[in-house]
Amino acid sequence: MKVAVVGKGGSGKTTTSAVLARALARRGLKTIALDCDTNPNLGLSLGVGDEETGRLVAVRQAVDTGEEEHAADFSDLITRFGVDAPDGVRLAVVSAIENPEPGCPCCGISPEQLLERLDSTDGVVVADFEAGLGTVIRMGSNPIDVIIVVTEPTSKSLEVARRAVTLVQQEKLGRLVIAANRVRDDADLDRIRAALPDLDLVVIPDEPEIVNAERLGESPLDSAPLSPGVRALVGLADNVVQR
Amino acid sequence: MRLAFVGKGGAGKSSIAGTLARLLGGSGEPVLALDSDPMPGLAFSLGVERDDAGIPDEALEEIFENGRTMYRLRSGLTSEEAVTRYAAMGPDGIRFLQLGKARGARGENARSQQAFLHLVKGLPHDSWHLVGDLPGGTRQPFFGWGRYARTVVVVVEPTPASLLSARRLARLADTAPAPRVVAVANKTRAAGDVALVARKSGLTVVGDIPFDPGLATADRLGTAPVDHDDQSPAVGAVNDLLATLLKEEEVRT
Repeated sequence: MKVAVVGKGGSGKTTTSAVLARALARRGLKTIALDCDTNPNLGLSLGVGDEETGRLVAVRQAVDTGEEEHAADFSDLITRFGVDAPDGVRLAVVSAIENPEPGCPCCGISPEQLLERLDSTDGVVVADFEAGLGTVIRMGSNPIDVIIVVTEPTSKSLEVARRAVTLVQQEKLGRLVIAANRVRDDADLDRIRAALPDLDLVVIPDEPEIVNAERLGESPLDSAPLSPGVRALVGLADNVVQR
Repeated sequence: MRLAFVGKGGAGKSSIAGTLARLLGGSGEPVLALDSDPMPGLAFSLGVERDDAGIPDEALEEIFENGRTMYRLRSGLTSEEAVTRYAAMGPDGIRFLQLGKARGARGENARSQQAFLHLVKGLPHDSWHLVGDLPGGTRQPFFGWGRYARTVVVVVEPTPASLLSARRLARLADTAPAPRVVAVANKTRAAGDVALVARKSGLTVVGDIPFDPGLATADRLGTAPVDHDDQSPAVGAVNDLLATLLKEEEVRT
């Protein structure tokens, strides 16, 4: 199964991807988390730490500057540019590098192409997309299983979510799930439902524990597993595997 | 002043840029606010009616350059005229111009985007204060959309993810032609947050904007922070930031 997480910058894509990936892995699924953001931070939210997150990016940059060898194929890419994260999740940083070699599987390929070609029959791939709509637009008409649109109840965030939903529906890119994030009250939820009507929606309450985990650079799944916000994110995994 | 705001997505670039533009405009200065983020944002923070159009086709001409078809303002139309004609009018006398938004599955944005760059390049230095909101993240901000800036302002939250992005941006901005790169600490909550931002980003911190729940409410309502509550702690802090930047500008010129 392949799952993409999209939305406006700062809406909570990375935190959502990380908790979702680990929750899926805890269900026994072989899980790969792909950091497709050109500004990659997924490692922090998965709980591999500041240094390891920085190191993965440095390996990718070393390829770019010719100091490291290119990966021979996709599985080599996941091995070479990846690290083991908690709960058995394999994290790989795959954002396109600045000077790609034509035809090279590790850098001539964009995140959306990689996602299309990766074999996920025996497990699940969770892809944390770059902010905005670029990657979704470049998916063309190649569907995956589930697309999670993360949105806050703010006008800016909902505007990006609306455009993402339109694109996904137009091109039939996958089953849509809205992660209604940082919901404080009914007014917030109404705002989201009004902007994105008739869609499968999972509510993630505004959660101080998640803010706190972000400030500390920890995974909220480690620091506050029982908080309502984290439990709602774990619940998103149920929705993803339900069908 | 010619400012460009960069930072991780959600760090608060638009909110600060929009508020600063409004405050500067309110003091009687001519301000042109520039949104080069293909995602919506700055219009909300400025309190300008949202408009996806960008620069219209009638203002453009096609040229053939280095084997490629490019677009620019049509000959005879100066940048200043184009601003007068096509930039939206906003509150406090500000004008607002946007790049042209990402539309549709195969959005045809190249025309208005190239014209946007061409227009900004042609603006005389003494005509307008430029306050620009650049795309979030680290890939797009230095595609050339911020070349007008004399000061790049990196908006940083005191979180490891935002600080990591700030370090990457500071390195990238160093290679761009902007003469000065500074940081603003945003959504600060604790005494050590500004020092943390300075230490981890390696940049001079010229502003400290406290976490302000009023701003979160304004965002939910789609209202500009200055229209929501112009006495709020965050708006006050942006006013201090503006004073600091204006004073620096005076010293430099």
